[in-house]
Amino acid sequence: MKVSLFITCVCDMFHSNVGKDTVEILERAGCEVDFPESQTCCGQPAFNSGYLQQSKKAMKQMIQAFEHAEYVVGPSGSCVGMLKEYPKIFAGDPVWEERATELANKAYELTQFLVDILNVVDVGSKFVGKVTYHPSCHMTRVLGVKEAPIQLLKQIKGIELIELPMKEDCCGFGGTFAIKNADISTEMVKEKSRHVSETGAHYLVGGDMACLMNIGGMMSREGKNVQVIHIAEILNTQ
Amino acid sequence: MIKNRESFLKNIADQLNRPRIKTEITKPVWTKQPQWEVYHELSKNELIDVLEEQCKVIHTTFKRGTKQNLPGILHETIIEYGGGSIITANDKRNSAFGLSSFYDHLNSDHIEVCKWDEKKGNENVHFAEQANIGITFSDITLAESGTVTLLNNKNNSRTISLLPTHYIAIIPKETLVPRMSQATRIIHEKNKNGEVIPSCVSFITGPSNSADIELNLVVGVHGPVKATYIVVE
Amino acid sequence: MGIQINQSPYEARVQKGLDDTFMRNAVSSAQERLKTGRIRSEEGIGNWDDWRALGEEIRKHTIEHLDYYLDQLSNQVVKRGGNVFFAQTAEEATDYIKTVVKQKNGKKVVKSKSMVTEEIGLNEVLQKEEVEVVETDLGEWILQLDNDPPSHIVAPALHKDRERIRDVFADKKGYDGTAIPEDLTLFAREQLRKDFLSADIGITGCNFAVAESGTVTLVTNEGNARLATSLPDTQIAVMGMERIVPTWEELDILVSLLTRAAVGQKLTSYITALTGTRLDKEIDGPSEFHLVIVDNGRSKIIGTEFQSALHCIRCAACINVCPVYRHIGGHAYGSIYPGPIGAVITPLLDGYENHQELPYASSLCAACTEACPVKIPLHELLIRHREIIVEKENKAPVSEKMMMAGFAQWASNPAAYKLSAKMVRTTLKPWIKEEQISNGPGPLKGWTDTRDFPAPKRQTFRSWYRNRQKGRTQ
Repeated sequence: MKVSLFITCVCDMFHSNVGKDTVEILERAGCEVDFPESQTCCGQPAFNSGYLQQSKKAMKQMIQAFEHAEYVVGPSGSCVGMLKEYPKIFAGDPVWEERATELANKAYELTQFLVDILNVVDVGSKFVGKVTYHPSCHMTRVLGVKEAPIQLLKQIKGIELIELPMKEDCCGFGGTFAIKNADISTEMVKEKSRHVSETGAHYLVGGDMACLMNIGGMMSREGKNVQVIHIAEILNTQ
Repeated sequence: MIKNRESFLKNIADQLNRPRIKTEITKPVWTKQPQWEVYHELSKNELIDVLEEQCKVIHTTFKRGTKQNLPGILHETIIEYGGGSIITANDKRNSAFGLSSFYDHLNSDHIEVCKWDEKKGNENVHFAEQANIGITFSDITLAESGTVTLLNNKNNSRTISLLPTHYIAIIPKETLVPRMSQATRIIHEKNKNGEVIPSCVSFITGPSNSADIELNLVVGVHGPVKATYIVVE
Repeated sequence: MGIQINQSPYEARVQKGLDDTFMRNAVSSAQERLKTGRIRSEEGIGNWDDWRALGEEIRKHTIEHLDYYLDQLSNQVVKRGGNVFFAQTAEEATDYIKTVVKQKNGKKVVKSKSMVTEEIGLNEVLQKEEVEVVETDLGEWILQLDNDPPSHIVAPALHKDRERIRDVFADKKGYDGTAIPEDLTLFAREQLRKDFLSADIGITGCNFAVAESGTVTLVTNEGNARLATSLPDTQIAVMGMERIVPTWEELDILVSLLTRAAVGQKLTSYITALTGTRLDKEIDGPSEFHLVIVDNGRSKIIGTEFQSALHCIRCAACINVCPVYRHIGGHAYGSIYPGPIGAVITPLLDGYENHQELPYASSLCAACTEACPVKIPLHELLIRHREIIVEKENKAPVSEKMMMAGFAQWASNPAAYKLSAKMVRTTLKPWIKEEQISNGPGPLKGWTDTRDFPAPKRQTFRSWYRNRQKGRTQ
């Protein structure tokens, strides 16, 4: 099966290792992975801030970059969720609507792809430690991926998975919200950090790097000894 | 009297980008109708069990009996609520359920019972306001929510179930239906057939309550403070 | 009062909310209880998504045929001896009500909880005419005595604790009891009973009007709406023009959705469905009935991308799950309609001028959309607002506009994008300490004031991938 990696700009810029882990997991699951180099950002920062015209420029670039892909798989519920919105955004556009729909239909978040398309729940990973999982908002509510990450995590050998209290609550990232309403965002992430501490876990796992940067950034500032790791990293540990 | 209607509605039609609808429209058949699934398979007896369970949630005392022992159960409840003065609906069912003679008996027993009497005008309301207990029959009873439905009229007035400190609803078994859907359908049909629907339909679910102070539930606010349902088979 | 409840700037209101520890604890535990109750009650009714779909379908149909159903409603009300006044503006509504009250020589009005009468500022208008207006919902009465606006559309006094309430009662009504909720409530019952018995006029809102029969339905727990519609001789019901259902069958569905979504109850203690004036030989209930149907900006929403906002049934489920509301409280929104639905409808009803920050008071986490019993896509509507603020109102800050123009350039130019991916670590190097950035530059500052930002990894993905591909082809 041919898969094109959608790395997401956050992982591309700041967390290149997540891209590397995603490639290796997919290859072990029998996929042939390529990386379309002309991909950029899905456009969400501009779209969510109300800059529709600007965001469309990014979206068009993405549509072109993945035009020849069979499957597009990315390690982010939020960014893949954005691709899924493209058809609505380009609705009525004679040039772009169809191409947008084509991309949306073949785009998957990593855990969703593993479980729903490849029917894999055990990727053969091993990780010893106390782990809690934060189900990010767009992954669960926009993309509707709720079970797949849990199914995958449960199969990891040596893992002790503890449920996060009020797990469905937003961490306060919200893109430009974290900057524009920094005070409210701070209170939200403090609360999330408190809930993570309550679990006694040493690792916080999530499927969206931006949320993890937010929670991890707060926990680091608070001097808490909890490491944030992307689900691709833990699934690629052996 | 209707004022400003035409300009108001024309503005709405303009916003909807079409002319005013002047002919009758047929309501669509809704795609999903989950309301008819709720408790649809239950018998009357099973609905009574549902009602009993729901009474725990709505802070309402649940009792059941027969036409024969209804006066006894009612008497016991009246004593539990401290006797005093009672206002009841002037309901035909009073005699059918053997309550007329029971009420007469109570009157001679130092409990003052007043039957709503349209001829006495506001006196009824004044009495109800001072009364300790209000008693009515339920016209339609909703098992799911534990609700008695009163189709209020000149004999079963709004305030009987409202002003006294305690409220007792007598629930004939045959009035039980699964949920609100069945009750509203009955009223919808009445209206469609050109019947005059009641000026007030009261769906009553237990005693009054409020959670306005720190979200603490306090039972008993402006309406009755306590309520008892008596199901009669 | 009107829609806007506070003139101070958004930032100050937010700060005040964040600093109010009692309020935040109260809101947090209230949200938890309301949310748990809602979810439990949804589970017991079969397929909740089917219920939501049905609710949405009914609301959509009704608003699309609103002129028809309002026409039918008004005919039916008149048939049952009532009067109907269509008010385009808040002033028209309050003028009419004022006239009715004066004609009846009304001295005292008892009111049951109604957001639309808050919206049109009715109390102030009547009080100016020397009419005594008594709010009879416990929460509303507390706020009226304390001269404080509501902070939640279902539980208006959520932000006050029992001690504050006791003090208000003592100060304004000579209460000398404890701060136990039962005692406070009993005191309210005794005080307000006198008002009910002596009032000339009862004013209520309207949860749902039923078009086919001209019925006004009130959904309450305390029983105050029943008293206000049983004892006074004149009743005035005020409704937002969208609060209508075609028939009693749809009333069932929307009431079932409302009570569950609002408070997790299968039904509230009282659902009271009132049709016209009292009938012949009936003693209680009004002999005169007026229905005031209020537009006040609602019709402007019809036919726009915001039309689904008119589907709202005012249950507050979105407010009860909103993490932003939890931390800043209702007053910070500066509107009588707070939370996600408030952030959507306030700018629509009252303009962007005083409320342009509200659409940004959301992390777009979509918890609101998920909770809404009639499936209003609330978080998407917030994005539509942002688009209007940026593109039509032109109210976005210059720095943001420049940043977004830069973004578009960057994200549509793979070469520029690639270069930045390569350079990002070098660029941020001066601020990196132990692989963290603790005092970032420019737009990063808001972030790093309170939390760290991870340093970009040393090896970029692209170089790893390129090396690997090379290794494979050799």
